[in-house]
Amino acid sequence: MTGEDKARLTQAAVEVVLQASREGRLTTEDDVFQALVAEGLFHPAEGGGDSDGARRTPTEEEAAAALAGILAGHPWLASFEGLSGQRVYHSPDLLSLTYARILDRKGSPLLLMAEEIRANSRDYPRPVPVELFEAPPFDLTPAEIEHTLGIMAADPQYQDISFTPTSTGAVYLFSTLHLERGYAQFLAQRAESLAMNP
Amino acid sequence: MAASPGGFAGKVLRVDLSTGKISTQDTIERYGDFLGGTGLGYQVLWEEVPSGTGPFDAANKLVFATGALAGTGVPCNGRTAVTTIFPTCWPKPLVASGHMGGQFAAKLKYAGYDALIIEGRAEKPVWLFIRDAQVQLRDAAHLWGAGIRRTSLEISQEMGASCVVAAIGQAGEKLAPMAIVANSLSHSAGGVGGVMGSKNLKAVGVQGGGAVRIAGDKGEWEKLIKFHLSILGGNNQHVVPSFPTPQSEYYNPGSRWVGEPGRRWGAAQPPIEITGNIYDLNRIAYRTNSAAFFLGDGAWQHTVRGNGCTACPIRCHTILKVPAVAAKYGIREIAQNTCVGLMFGRGFFKKLPGGMKGQAALEACMVGMHLADDLGLWCNYGQLQRDLQKLFYDGLLKAKLGSAEYASIPWDKYVAGDPAFLFDILPRIGQRRGELGQVLSQGTSGLFSQWSIPEETWTQGHDTLYWKMGHPKHHANEDDGQCGVIINTQYNRDAQCHSHTNFVRNGLPLNVQKRLAAEIWGSPDSVDGVGDYTPMNPHKARRARWSLVRKELHDSLGLCNWMGPWVASPLKSRGYSGDDSLESRFYSLATGRKIDREGLDRIGERIFTLHRALTIRDMGQLDMRLQHDRVPDWVFEDPSGASPFSKGTIRMDRADMAKAMDMFYKVMGWDTTTGAPTQETYSRLGLTEVGQSLKARKLLPGDAA
Repeated sequence: MTGEDKARLTQAAVEVVLQASREGRLTTEDDVFQALVAEGLFHPAEGGGDSDGARRTPTEEEAAAALAGILAGHPWLASFEGLSGQRVYHSPDLLSLTYARILDRKGSPLLLMAEEIRANSRDYPRPVPVELFEAPPFDLTPAEIEHTLGIMAADPQYQDISFTPTSTGAVYLFSTLHLERGYAQFLAQRAESLAMNP
Repeated sequence: MAASPGGFAGKVLRVDLSTGKISTQDTIERYGDFLGGTGLGYQVLWEEVPSGTGPFDAANKLVFATGALAGTGVPCNGRTAVTTIFPTCWPKPLVASGHMGGQFAAKLKYAGYDALIIEGRAEKPVWLFIRDAQVQLRDAAHLWGAGIRRTSLEISQEMGASCVVAAIGQAGEKLAPMAIVANSLSHSAGGVGGVMGSKNLKAVGVQGGGAVRIAGDKGEWEKLIKFHLSILGGNNQHVVPSFPTPQSEYYNPGSRWVGEPGRRWGAAQPPIEITGNIYDLNRIAYRTNSAAFFLGDGAWQHTVRGNGCTACPIRCHTILKVPAVAAKYGIREIAQNTCVGLMFGRGFFKKLPGGMKGQAALEACMVGMHLADDLGLWCNYGQLQRDLQKLFYDGLLKAKLGSAEYASIPWDKYVAGDPAFLFDILPRIGQRRGELGQVLSQGTSGLFSQWSIPEETWTQGHDTLYWKMGHPKHHANEDDGQCGVIINTQYNRDAQCHSHTNFVRNGLPLNVQKRLAAEIWGSPDSVDGVGDYTPMNPHKARRARWSLVRKELHDSLGLCNWMGPWVASPLKSRGYSGDDSLESRFYSLATGRKIDREGLDRIGERIFTLHRALTIRDMGQLDMRLQHDRVPDWVFEDPSGASPFSKGTIRMDRADMAKAMDMFYKVMGWDTTTGAPTQETYSRLGLTEVGQSLKARKLLPGDAA
């Protein structure tokens, strides 16, 4: 594959990821490859196809071999190992890591809720209102949330996930790995009071 | 100072209501050292209003002043400061300002004036007509007794649609200390309506055909405005949305940036759905919906649009349309306001059916706006509502009020959370009817002076949120530990400072806030996690000083301190930093007077220090530390008994706060024993004569009798 071919492949591959990020989707290497195939970017392997018999690059095999390195090394892109075990790519400027992680976990309400609760408790720090998970992009139903919390309560891996009620009747979730219960209670009460403290 | 080629309109309009004399002065020559706004107001009061003047004395003056950036294209520039001897300040009226947004500031500038000084007292009710150089006092007999809405409408019909009217309602006419003046219907300045009423001035109508010139390079000006827009967040400069978006690394459910694609202004005709990228500059106005923030998601269906001030893309005055209130209460179905003005009615109730974000809460807000914004009644940042709750539920009201009057009030509706209760209580207060109306219309001070309720009853109560001198806390230790407490000690009314709280509530994670704090104030330790406060350090004192100085700068430039300063931003590419030098860059370009951040901050400090000097002079008191900079007892207690500096308490430590005040006085260049500025500080700030004047009164540190 010539340098020119590689540049063309890079541009096309990156554009596939960028477009997916613009549309709020994550992309795997396979997604990118299939998109490029559909675009007709590749030439058949040696011995196949072209009428003049000359070897054209990149071939599908060459592209497949180069793609992972191209995607991993591009400064506009980022990646992480998704729940499926595959590496998923996104453009952080268009689709933040925070949002990308949420999208990746949408297939597993258990991980979706637990990791979001943990991240909020660790990073801000703060507990989150349970209603957060009913809204986009989480989009869980109240029944799904209740069911998921029930599973967490019984699963040793999620014993750090806890909740605190407020005087207004709201329920906030937090991780005891990162927030003490008393402080979580304070922060939840404060969060509920913000709409009364302009 | 020589005349400026830009920024300033150039003249200050002075109207003597006693003599009818109307005159002008050169703004820069006469007031340029204090910029405008509160700076100009403090200067007028220092030079022209003798110590001991009462708020409703003819000798008191009312200074409507805007600033060099008002009426320009600078975002968030619509502010007018109304400075006077403030009637709700207790036990002795002292200098303070009310602040209004809307369109008044820009119109005044377009008419050719940076400020309007009202003095004396008219013999009969008048309103002030300003159309460029044409200025007249007109008879207001037909308007006296009318509410703000009718007054604004009638004057608008007389002047034409392009005017702006700032008017008082019945509360101001009756000299209620708890009265507002409001322009553009919902943009009010609290506490000053009664002073207007005492001068028999019903309204000011302004029409201006001019423009504000920009001295600097127009390309640079446009570029800076675009940059400023790029670092704006939502209301109160909350720089992350309240929900995860594809573009955002951070989100915060407590953010006032509540607008997102898919949300609808459901009461617009036709309804408008938010689309596109909420980070785009032409989507800024969709980010804020004050009604949705304060009343919950149900408010979206009642939202017509956002309204707001000149050149401000935030649009924090949400217009609501609730047809149900027209049918149920016979009031207008449309109302608009923000923050405490929006929540005026809801705030009276301890409980409402459906909770504080339910239908009854929405109706209470609509009824409250309908009544208070027409009567011209102020709430003292929610203290009026909290006072009534405490008086009623603690049994004080029954004990103090005559039984017949007590029985005449529908308390059953109050306890039940029926918004119809407001139709009884608000006119009572606004029109000063009966003993309850008389007392509550004075503000919290009325409880102390007329009913002899000890101030300690309020300073010790955690639910009152009362601070001192008749006024409540305004973003104190519940938001910002020692920094918030220091700021709340400094004014003669609630502090109205948002420089500090806009930063700590901006929605960014604590580690990002600390990184920005290190860049701005020299140490990550200048900011604590809320409710996880650490002992005082000098960096916090510097941040408190910066907060106060920027507040005065904004109030004097015509900028909105409810939005600024803009030291954090939504931009990941900037590491979420904003720009600490925006104000000086705008001022330099607008006026052609090049000044850097430190130079402009020094003027802000001069203005703030003049406020201090005025307070010292009019209190006749040097020991500000003991007599003025007070902190209520509730700040030093925790209902659950938690110790200061333990996680999850806003309780402060008395010894630590004493140390905090020491540090603050030190960074201000004030005497740590008395909390009064020294002559050296006055001189450093160009206030040598102010210091000398106080020295002659033995009100300078070291010269006390």
